[in-house]
Amino acid sequence: MSVDSNSRFDDATAAQQRFLSLFLRSEREIFRYVAVLVPNVTDAEDIVQQAAMALWEKFDTYDPTRPFTPWACRFALNKARQWIEQRQRWKALLDHGLAEELAQRRQELQPEFERRLKRLEACLDKLPPGQRSLVEAYYYERTDIESLAGRTGKTAAAIYKMLQRIRQALQLCVESHGKPEVV
Amino acid sequence: MTLSFPSPQFDDAVAAVCHGSASEAEMRALNESLRSDASARDEYLLRIELHSRLASSRDLFCQAEDVAAGCRTPIIDWDDRRDFLSPNPRMPAIRRRVVQVLALAACLVLMAIGVWGLWLRPPATRNGATSTAVAMLTRVVDAHWTQSTAPARVGSALAPGWLRLESGLAQVVFYSGARVVIEGPAELQLVSPTEAVCPTGRLLAEVPEPARGFRLKTGQINVVDLGTAFGIDATHGRTEVHVFKGRVEVLSGITAKQPLGEGQAAAAQGSTPLRLMAANTVAFKALFEFQERSLASEAFRYEQWQLANARLNQDPSLVVHLEFQNLNTSDWTLRNAAESDRSVQDATIVGCQRAEGRWREKQALEFQSVNDRVRLAVPGNFDALTLSAWVCVKGLDRQFNSLFMCDGFDPGTIHWLIRNDGVLGLTVFGPDSGDFQIVASPPVLTLDRLGTWLHLAVIVDGKARQVVHYVNGSPVARQELKLGPPFRLGAAELGNWNARSGPNPAPALIRNLSGALDEFELFNRALSDAEVRELHAKGKPDL
Repeated sequence: MSVDSNSRFDDATAAQQRFLSLFLRSEREIFRYVAVLVPNVTDAEDIVQQAAMALWEKFDTYDPTRPFTPWACRFALNKARQWIEQRQRWKALLDHGLAEELAQRRQELQPEFERRLKRLEACLDKLPPGQRSLVEAYYYERTDIESLAGRTGKTAAAIYKMLQRIRQALQLCVESHGKPEVV
Repeated sequence: MTLSFPSPQFDDAVAAVCHGSASEAEMRALNESLRSDASARDEYLLRIELHSRLASSRDLFCQAEDVAAGCRTPIIDWDDRRDFLSPNPRMPAIRRRVVQVLALAACLVLMAIGVWGLWLRPPATRNGATSTAVAMLTRVVDAHWTQSTAPARVGSALAPGWLRLESGLAQVVFYSGARVVIEGPAELQLVSPTEAVCPTGRLLAEVPEPARGFRLKTGQINVVDLGTAFGIDATHGRTEVHVFKGRVEVLSGITAKQPLGEGQAAAAQGSTPLRLMAANTVAFKALFEFQERSLASEAFRYEQWQLANARLNQDPSLVVHLEFQNLNTSDWTLRNAAESDRSVQDATIVGCQRAEGRWREKQALEFQSVNDRVRLAVPGNFDALTLSAWVCVKGLDRQFNSLFMCDGFDPGTIHWLIRNDGVLGLTVFGPDSGDFQIVASPPVLTLDRLGTWLHLAVIVDGKARQVVHYVNGSPVARQELKLGPPFRLGAAELGNWNARSGPNPAPALIRNLSGALDEFELFNRALSDAEVRELHAKGKPDL
């Protein structure tokens, strides 16, 4: 290998490293941004993956003096739009300008969310062990619903219902703490 | 369908959207409800935010009570620690006696033949040790095999015998390192790691330096490779050999040794002398493309691995992650890539050869001599541990072949190793000196697994009191752990062991590994089976 191609290889590796470190720092935020439109976890992750590939392809057009996350979110939004376009169900959910409205409103509500959800971790800790381990299995270990159902001998619908109730409990918990300050 | 807000139907629809299970009618109704009511919109956004934070903030779970031990090093004050180190007064009496008996027995054994004595029993029945595999099927495209000789699947070990490919392409990697791609229709007889016969068919052989001397026979000739890439086109009456890189020697019945260099080719037919000509790449086009594609997919896997690692490195329970990257001859350290826990900065390489890892671009360290080792020091006490390594074992030369061994036999430490009969072993040393437990797997490192990259992992769970051994993501042994935490690692080695004995250790104290390592992870918690499976999937050489 010539010296020249060696240094090209190093440049490419360095760029890749730079991209990875920027992307990974923003990944969470990009995921949440996508989830506003497509909240289903596996679908949202697929879209983030596709966005990551597009970002890497266009990384040479990224201006390092500007923040990475908004740049990345623009790509993610495009990818999400393409994804939704191909799915009748999701189109029905986001049609008539709702997608834009949700994305816009979320931005406005960000500081409010930050404040309210600060308590999420403490509230998670208060869950009874059974609920806690279900949340952990579903959200953290990403166990699919069929295996959760199989493991507990319940139907998938029952597991979904349990998850819904747990989220309700968590929401109540974070809210109840926020309120005394207002009253 | 209409949805009013607030209503239980609205709640169900939002939940169904989160789970991806909402029907089109439900989604349409939700769309209308959200567009017409600003407070419904805000409520919807808050619920989605909570849901997406649960899905994306791993630290939410890590700092929580249940897995506290997993994500943080438990803080034990001095009094507590003393309590742990002395016999636990809260332990039930009968249990305490068991421990004492164990400890006494262990002391006697130690005095007589040393702690390794327990390992010196006759080797277990060697299930796979009779395996005579010489190669592995690594990749196929549209391959159709003649029924009787169909190999199980990609990744299966191949014993000596015939492969008959009717159509398509297949790559076979010999344990010597030679890679052969055949294009159907073709017949290939595997003879040994360094020898094959191809009476009919077209093939492309790539023979790296260590596999020099690889022999390929056809009906007419015998090709001895001298470190190259060459192609063979054989029919029952005629063989052509084309050299694309390096040199080969051709032996036929009539001609003496005929050397062929790069760009040269020869045809052998019946009893006429070899006819020399220019090498022709066109005939091997499909094979070259296949090789190229397989290289491209290797590069892809390597990239995927890097991406997955960058994410894994943020895991707060990851204490040590050696990626074996950016090795060069002047640098004797391996950087710890774990980002949250920086209690270990790096590890030190002693000896060792730089080698190729799971993929061409991936680096590895090869352990061969008794001096080769990677040293590191891990401070702290642990309630549970997970160790994970990618290893290519060349041979089980020693009675015990070290994977990760803490120095000496100190209380609370562990030894992770492979016994010469292919058994994976984990020794845990209890809080009292002389008190230990060995958890051994069945003989899982069969001969056909030597020379291939394997993912090995072991979990020492002081809370659930169990030890689990894994090979390639699957549990192979699960046993009750009789000794409790805390575990301490301190000074330890990969691929070797510092017995802290004198300058001329007894043979049983020499435990260097013969093989290569290209990744090592240490977590301060017990990973779940699913997580170990994921670790394996992340690093699997092939898709």
